[in-house]
Amino acid sequence: MAISLGKLTLGRIVQAAIVALVVGVVGFAMMEALPGDAAYRIAAGRYGYDMVTGAAAEQVRSELGLDRPAAERLLTWVGQTFTFDLGQSAVTGERVGHAIDHQLGHTVELALVAVAVALLIAVPIGVLAGLRPGSLFDRISAALAIVVRAMPAFLIGIVLMLVLAVELGLVPAAGHGHGGNFVLPALTLGIVLASVLTRVVRNAVAATVASDAFQFALHKGLPMRAAFLRHGVRNAAVPVVAYLGVQMALLLEGVVVVESVFSWPGIGHALTHAIFERDVPMLQGTALTLGLMFVLLSFLADLACRALDPRLNT
Amino acid sequence: MRLPRLVGLVCLLVIAVLTILGPSLSGFDPAKQNLRAILLPPGTDGHLLGTDNLGRDIAARILGGAQITLSLAALAVASAAAFGVGLGMLAGWRGGVTDRLLGALSDAVLALPGLLLVLLLAAIRPDSWWTLYAGLALTLWVEFFRVSRARTRVLTASPAVEAARLLGLGRWHVVRRHLWPDLSLQILTLAAFGAATVVTALATLGFISVGLRPPTPEWGVMMAELLPSWREAPWAIAAPVVALAATVLSLRLAAGSEG
Amino acid sequence: MRLTVEELSVHAGSTRLVGPISLAIEAGEPLTILGETGAGKSLLAQAIMGALPEGLTAQGAITLDGRRLDTLPPRQRRALWGHEIAMLPQEPWRALDALMRSGEQVAESHAIVAGEGWKTAEARAHDALSGLGLEERAMAAWPGALSGGMAQRVAFAAATAAGAGTLLADEPTKGLDEARRDDVTALLLRYVEDGHLLLTITHDVAVARALGGKVMVLKDGEAVEHGAAAEVLHAPKSAYGQALIAADPANWPHIIPQRGGEPVLVAEGLGIARGRRLLLDGVGLSLRAGQRIAVVGESGLGKSSLLDTLAGLIPAAGGAVRRLGRGAAPFAVQKLYQDPPAAFAPRVPLAESFRDLERRHRISRAEREMLLERLGLSPGLLARRPDAVSGGELQRLALVRVLLLQPAVILADEPTSRLDPVTQRQVMEVIGAIARQSNVGLVLVTHNRTMARRWADSTLDLSDYTPLRAAG
Repeated sequence: MAISLGKLTLGRIVQAAIVALVVGVVGFAMMEALPGDAAYRIAAGRYGYDMVTGAAAEQVRSELGLDRPAAERLLTWVGQTFTFDLGQSAVTGERVGHAIDHQLGHTVELALVAVAVALLIAVPIGVLAGLRPGSLFDRISAALAIVVRAMPAFLIGIVLMLVLAVELGLVPAAGHGHGGNFVLPALTLGIVLASVLTRVVRNAVAATVASDAFQFALHKGLPMRAAFLRHGVRNAAVPVVAYLGVQMALLLEGVVVVESVFSWPGIGHALTHAIFERDVPMLQGTALTLGLMFVLLSFLADLACRALDPRLNT
Repeated sequence: MRLPRLVGLVCLLVIAVLTILGPSLSGFDPAKQNLRAILLPPGTDGHLLGTDNLGRDIAARILGGAQITLSLAALAVASAAAFGVGLGMLAGWRGGVTDRLLGALSDAVLALPGLLLVLLLAAIRPDSWWTLYAGLALTLWVEFFRVSRARTRVLTASPAVEAARLLGLGRWHVVRRHLWPDLSLQILTLAAFGAATVVTALATLGFISVGLRPPTPEWGVMMAELLPSWREAPWAIAAPVVALAATVLSLRLAAGSEG
Repeated sequence: MRLTVEELSVHAGSTRLVGPISLAIEAGEPLTILGETGAGKSLLAQAIMGALPEGLTAQGAITLDGRRLDTLPPRQRRALWGHEIAMLPQEPWRALDALMRSGEQVAESHAIVAGEGWKTAEARAHDALSGLGLEERAMAAWPGALSGGMAQRVAFAAATAAGAGTLLADEPTKGLDEARRDDVTALLLRYVEDGHLLLTITHDVAVARALGGKVMVLKDGEAVEHGAAAEVLHAPKSAYGQALIAADPANWPHIIPQRGGEPVLVAEGLGIARGRRLLLDGVGLSLRAGQRIAVVGESGLGKSSLLDTLAGLIPAAGGAVRRLGRGAAPFAVQKLYQDPPAAFAPRVPLAESFRDLERRHRISRAEREMLLERLGLSPGLLARRPDAVSGGELQRLALVRVLLLQPAVILADEPTSRLDPVTQRQVMEVIGAIARQSNVGLVLVTHNRTMARRWADSTLDLSDYTPLRAAG
């Protein structure tokens, strides 16, 4: 079904607004749910338990606006989320925007390398399996994909860490800074993405090769190679790209999990850290950024689909 | 039925029986510490799977974890399926405004990808089984909704249902003879995948310290606790890893189709 | 030029699917293989081409111009594709690549298969397509925007670009209405006149008649008749050949038109729209009890929408439908569908569907049994699911289901277009007879004008009611 570009864009804008709304409301609810006096807790987090005084707590209270009525704070809160005014970390006092600026770079780095790893694994295996469906290679790769897909991302991470870092000592187990630090998180995330992508590519290639259009291309006399390049690649890419939306969700979930497991200083790690520390401003900032990234990536996937398939542009 | 599916179902049955019998099967209390008997290898002093870093019986904790995990999976999936299928059939059948409103609601839930939404909701109240249940049920119903809505829409527009209407056969006939036989199989498949998602999510959140917390014998939590002991006692962390992988794999095999 | 096939058969493992068949084709004398759908006819073409699906094997000798093809290794056989032997696909709009413009799909055959430079190839493709009556606009269009007839011409040009002298056409008119069908047969005849070899596989006797040359009749995968078209089509010798030829609507007995009883369904000034587009305007129709009316017109004209409007399933865009006399009773207007299995709940035994119906309307089982017997159906069929019953039986069961309600009007939407010719004739006779005996008014939608003329008391041609023509 063809949807106009304008409608598509509007849909994604609405989605972005919903993301901001959900994040704002959750942040607020979290704030309300904090046990005891939030101001004392935060002050304790900042200065240490021994150093908390009434004055320090009051300062935090007015600084964070904790003394205003709940309804007013909810409105301000959600309003601020929409304007991307995220304030400062309740724990470190660092400006949220500033912190995210840093983390975003790390996350994007990791995601790009992981996607490259996934493509390097999934495309060759998927194409080979799809060209000969039912072959031994196809069945082995299918079984492997089923087993790997049944493994949660963090479990794959643990296994790789224990084997590559702890036992073989090939790469550092966690952290960031050296090139070697890339290996474990990028490989983990890449494998998670590839386990799904391989089968998507395989199914798309198998369906394309079996299609009447591809068979006709062969029957009219095109050699296999020319037929695959001219009538296979692009046609198989359509369902693969259409599946990108689902892959984006997997990528973002994976970013959160993998960064946390390997202490990769990106947004996902910051998010789980903020949840653990109950640092509401940081939580909002990171969740909002991840949510908007998801919307943006989904939108790019939509555009890629339309660029590939003329049927969607009518 | 294809072999992998059968294997999955048999394994699930075994897992379900073990879970229902629970920690008492091991003969130990999953919470009882014994600091003089830490990291015992499997088989020592009647500890079938050995003991953990605080001397608790691992078998008892695995079974306790199974009860927490699988009850969450069962309840979250059942609620999600009931809501999703009910609303999906309603939206597909009625169309128009009902359909658009419910569609917008499901889109709103999809605005944040699955685990992220669960994570955010779980953040409101940490270490709470019920918050996790609410978050997971909320993300899972959408898939049930979308599938039943799409199928209902196709089926109610089909010649078979049109003929049934012209023949004066009522709504009940359409639901019972046309919709349900078609939907029930797909719902079972979705339910199995959904349960696998719940089990995965719970362990993931537990492992990265934003789900249930120690001393709860949750599998992800256990792995986080036992990871530092890998060098001395690799069997200790192997237990929750195998339990988790076996459960998820069985569920996904039982689901029957690739997904 | 000459293509001979000796004792060709296709097997799946140890099961023989079709054959053994022997045939010979000479230049200028096309051969048409006639037979019911699903009888393995397509496998023959694929076996000659050397393009059988995986898991199927062919036996027998295939010789083209004195050269044995069946003994060639697969690679060398594929090298003949497009150069010496070409295959026209069943459903051209599915055989063209939806992501490449039509013209380029022909040009690439010239460039890559025939080895002309891209510049020349594009010019030759352009000439070939305009020679087939295609406009520039159609060449630049994506295949999805082409009509079935245009798509078949593009496929023809793409398949024969490298000068193949032998063409295998597998059901080339499937899904096309009569006018488009005649376009395609004309295209094939031109190919034959150029001195080429043509093998056509079809279930449509009209195609065989138009192509002439020789005809072979296939039954259960074996040839039961083989000879000159004029002979086979006029005086078939085998029982199946006779049934098949007799089943061609052109050979049906002429109907003695009847006026029917009192009016049961009247439509005046009816407008039919799909979305916002008005398809038909000013349609008038008056159906009497026991009368048969046929509605004809090209595909996409709004025939099915008209039927749905008459049934009250969709609102009219103008005018009104009135039900009169017996037609005004509840459930008095019923429908028969194009695809019989799609008209029943697919996953439950038929008996369940019938029981629900009888309970709802308090109909006795005896009535059902009486109707089954009258339509020559075994009661045992009801224990099965719809997909385990043949199309012809299922359509008759649909008729039983409808008759249980003693309707005044039955609207039939191409009820036999998915059935093979012999079954088609049986089912149409049953439907027609029931209408007369039970005094039911019948509206038949069909794309087959010959069938309409032979079967219906009167015919309504919808092409007279398209808004454009009405305005002009």
